[in-house]
Amino acid sequence: MAALLRGLRAGRTLRGLSSGKTGPTSRVVAAPSAVNPQCSNLNRGFHRAALRLQDESKSDKPPSSSSSSSSSSTTYHEHYQATEHDTAAEASQHDSASDPAAEQPERPNTSYQDQSGEHGEEYETEEQLQSRILTAALEFVPLHGWSMEAIAAGAETLGLSSASTGMFYNGAGDLVLHFIAHCNSQLTEILAEQHKQVQLGQAEPKKTADFLREAVETRLRMYIPYIETWPQAMSILLLPHNIPDSLKHLSSMVDDIWYYAGDRSTDMNWYTKRAVLTGIYNTTELVMLQDSSPDFQDTWSFLDNRIQDVVNMASSAKQVQSTGEAVVQGLMGAAVTLKNLTGLNQRR
Amino acid sequence: MFQRRSRGQKYTFWLRDGFRDGESEERIKSYHRPHRRSSMQKSEYTCDHRPRVYKVFENVAQKYDIMNDAMSLGIHRVWKDALLHVMHPQPGAQLLDVAGGTGDIAFRFLEYIRLQEERQKRRAARSSQTPSWQDISNNYSTEDESRESRAVVCDINKEMLKVGKQKADSLGVSAGLSWVVGDAEELPFDDDQFDIYTIAFGIRNVTHIDQALQEALRVLKPGGRFMCLEFSKVNNPILSSIYDAYSFQMIPVIGEVIAGDWKSYQYLVESIRKFPNQEEFKGMIEDAGFYCVKYYNLTGGVVALHSGFKL
Repeated sequence: MAALLRGLRAGRTLRGLSSGKTGPTSRVVAAPSAVNPQCSNLNRGFHRAALRLQDESKSDKPPSSSSSSSSSSTTYHEHYQATEHDTAAEASQHDSASDPAAEQPERPNTSYQDQSGEHGEEYETEEQLQSRILTAALEFVPLHGWSMEAIAAGAETLGLSSASTGMFYNGAGDLVLHFIAHCNSQLTEILAEQHKQVQLGQAEPKKTADFLREAVETRLRMYIPYIETWPQAMSILLLPHNIPDSLKHLSSMVDDIWYYAGDRSTDMNWYTKRAVLTGIYNTTELVMLQDSSPDFQDTWSFLDNRIQDVVNMASSAKQVQSTGEAVVQGLMGAAVTLKNLTGLNQRR
Repeated sequence: MFQRRSRGQKYTFWLRDGFRDGESEERIKSYHRPHRRSSMQKSEYTCDHRPRVYKVFENVAQKYDIMNDAMSLGIHRVWKDALLHVMHPQPGAQLLDVAGGTGDIAFRFLEYIRLQEERQKRRAARSSQTPSWQDISNNYSTEDESRESRAVVCDINKEMLKVGKQKADSLGVSAGLSWVVGDAEELPFDDDQFDIYTIAFGIRNVTHIDQALQEALRVLKPGGRFMCLEFSKVNNPILSSIYDAYSFQMIPVIGEVIAGDWKSYQYLVESIRKFPNQEEFKGMIEDAGFYCVKYYNLTGGVVALHSGFKL
């Protein structure tokens, strides 16, 4: 039976060959049964290429296998072409658009071989693949919550089997941390863009209080699509093995906001400012979880009040300090006067 | 003493070349007479292990499970449960258990998935206490759509599969289970069929391990996972000496007493020593084309669980 299946597979490769290519048929028939590591490299490269081409159907990014295919010997090149048709035929069952897309980039991409020069691409792609799966999984979070099922559903939309969720050893924690990192990078982009606008003189610089308010509001608005399941995400972030990572993300976000607000302090203020903003952010997030007003108006007014409190406290701290100094001076004066009156100040 | 030596001789040609552990070579040599070594080196290239492996497992099939319990003192159940926990299969997954014989992994897989589905149903029921008509109609339609998880047990030996089928009947498990005769080096399945490929304590019996790994890569879907449970190298010297003493002194004796077959269990112990260690096997899996290859040591390295993904 195994021989029968081998024959079927060989038949498919022959059909693939006859559809547009020439090549030694006997060698290709023999090739599937005696798979060489080099061939398997090409197969492997193409599997990933097929995956990538399935999601970004008009992608310009050259598959890593194209560079190796043009540099390899002709026999392996033909085998590669044959398997390309093989898997392209299977891929076309999933997505008909990808079949012509799969064929077209193969030929012109040989010119990218020198330009891209990505030798370590296999290793980069593992992390990239993981982040792509997690991004795809975010769609399923409202349905399945922050869990392995959401990741499995995300993997399936990319054409991978649900067993690939085993790559994520932290499970749901990976998904939540990925989402947080994604939100933070979006926030940083927005703040950098605004900063550039101010630098170019196209926008007015905002006051610190307003800037902080808008930054925190922008960041919290990114949670709105997932607000139903956000309590589950927060509880996952509080698990002991996730605390270091979540604190790292929180602190880098707060640091970014203060940096773009213009804070360049190098003394105790650095710590106090960040601690204050962390407190504001966390409390506002908690308020947002149970807010049912339209467009979370209550949350934004809470945020306003907290920032106002901080501003008031800063100014009142200054007042206290100056009052204290004045009081001290007054007391000193009173003491000197008393001493004069009682004659203790005179030197005899 | 003399008895043991003469029995050990017959199995010289089962041992492949490339002794990695000089210590075990010494121990194995003590079981053979010196002049037999030349026949060993001659026959290792021409001999195919399959008929011998077939014979061994044909002899032990009926008593296989009891022997597993006796030899590993029941710890093999823990190892297999650990495999399932690391695997964490999602409902709808297709499993191929190669060298699955009596079907231990397949039964555990189906049970795990059943529990997962129950948990999901309970969670769904809890969250939607008052389902809308929309939800109710959706539930009716999705019951047909959801893919049923399936476990295929493949083994080269019909006797082992027969024992497995009997076990399945006695446990009352029949849905989603298939029993196929096949060789790990040449699987009778099409490409891109399975989500998970497992081989528990079977890959050391395969003559060409790299071919088996290539076949695993072939039948797995993109994103599929390869998992292998196998005896491996114990690094801790104290544990290692206890383990060696137990393996070479106790196991063939237990084999003789319970299954009436000294030779097969001596073959077992020797094949364990021949198998590459954790890092080397990880390298072999990576060479076959798997990514994110990782291994977990169970029971201090007595058993290693290797896992790789087809990406």
